Amino acid sequence: MTIDIQMRLVEGAAVLYPGPYLNQLRGEGIERRCRELLASGIRQIVINFAETELINSIGISILLGVIEAVNEARGTLVLSNLAQSNRELFEMLGLLSHVRIESSEAAALSSLCDKLQSTAI
Amino acid sequence: MSLTLRKMLHNLSALAELGNEISSTHDFDDVVRASLHMLLGTLAIPRGAIARYSQEPRQLKIVAAKGLDKAVGEKLALAHEDVEQLTRHTEPLDLQAEQNGLSNFVNRNNDVFKRLRAHTTVPMVARGELMGMILLSEKFTGAVYSEDDIDIINAIARHIAIGFYNNRLMVSLRRKAEENQRLYREMQETYRDTVKAFGAAIDLKDAYTSGHSERVGRYCEAIAREMGVTGRQLDYITVAGYLHDIGKITVDRAIINNPRPLTEREFKELNKHALAGYEILSHIRHPWDEIAYMAKCHHEKVDGTGYPQGLSGEAIPLGARIVTLADSFDAMMTDRPYRARLPLATALADLSRHTGTQFCSTVVVAFCRLLLKEISGATRTRVFLPVIGIMFDRPAIIATLSEMILEFEPQRLVS
Repeated sequence: MTIDIQMRLVEGAAVLYPGPYLNQLRGEGIERRCRELLASGIRQIVINFAETELINSIGISILLGVIEAVNEARGTLVLSNLAQSNRELFEMLGLLSHVRIESSEAAALSSLCDKLQSTAI
Repeated sequence: MSLTLRKMLHNLSALAELGNEISSTHDFDDVVRASLHMLLGTLAIPRGAIARYSQEPRQLKIVAAKGLDKAVGEKLALAHEDVEQLTRHTEPLDLQAEQNGLSNFVNRNNDVFKRLRAHTTVPMVARGELMGMILLSEKFTGAVYSEDDIDIINAIARHIAIGFYNNRLMVSLRRKAEENQRLYREMQETYRDTVKAFGAAIDLKDAYTSGHSERVGRYCEAIAREMGVTGRQLDYITVAGYLHDIGKITVDRAIINNPRPLTEREFKELNKHALAGYEILSHIRHPWDEIAYMAKCHHEKVDGTGYPQGLSGEAIPLGARIVTLADSFDAMMTDRPYRARLPLATALADLSRHTGTQFCSTVVVAFCRLLLKEISGATRTRVFLPVIGIMFDRPAIIATLSEMILEFEPQRLVS
């Protein structure tokens, strides 16, 4: 069984919406989408967790794979709108200093835009 | 909530999820994959693999992997002393540490470990037996595994080891069950072949009835099916058809092959075959108990004038009522010592005349329906046509059968 992850493109960046529960099914959906985006040349990806109440250990494992894949492709991954509990999960796993986190989708996209501009300079 | 407490809850939740996954009925390969993800996600480890141990051949085969493409299916070479060493250590082992006694094992499989960037191995042992091994890279953050991390890794490894152990048991049980089913099917085939051989042996006694038992068996199966009989009842009615005349082996051949009308004494002698059949068959352990009784009752008549017990109506088992008709029809359609085979029209007239006295009307209707389907070409099965041949007035027979069906079909109540 596969699940279709909602996505939208914003000026060369992609925003993914994992949904209410980042488990194996949705995690694999995110992973699949990211690989497709990287293969198509998109290197700026935002994952918006506004609707995600819970991330389980399988979700974390898959997310780590996504982070590594984006890094290997010299892309940028930003996580936005993390609920407090999920933020604490990342903190507990020591991941806060290893992933980019923004409070909102707009802030995440803006930070990617800044990066693009600074790269251009 | 303190970080420590949060971590504990996180670990407990992972263990609970793992327990659910391992005891689920999902495909075992999916369970192993999910278990690996759970372990890696619990401690934020980016790469890892689970390998399953087999004794024949002695090897570890990777069955789940993350962070290494095409690792699944790769085999790790294992010496006997490696197995002993791994079984002895149930805690996570640093692959590079020489004091583990695994240097040869590591060197032999260095390529896989390098590609996986495997840093730590965790043997999985259940009931003193090596089940497999977990390979782990460094943590995503680069931090060293803490004592708490090692505890949780141990706990998870034990769970997965038990999962492997139980899966091996299940696979073994399934194989045994399949083997038993195969043996049972073979036994059933042997039984059926023996029954047919028995029937053929019975028929050898009578010079005129070669093939009679087999034909009656086939007629009984077809009529029973037409009546909606299925499953075990269908099976034993068929077998009863094959074996109904087994009692004739106790009857003098001279009586069976006698071309002139039988004397009263000879009739009594011949009629004993139903009871004799019962005596013979009731000492054999058939798959179904009903067979001996069918043989006993196959000369009963629905009006109570049959033998040996004078049963009537539905006191005569359905199978016996089917055998009665099948037996009589075949007798009419084959040459006997005292007369040639009857024309089909005459046989049907005889059946019709004795419906309600000798023959059960429901069975007669089913028989007529079946014969009608064969003659009119409405069915491809050929149960009766090989015996009745083609020398009959087709339209007339079709009309006769249709009339018999109308006449003998039980009336439906109309509200």
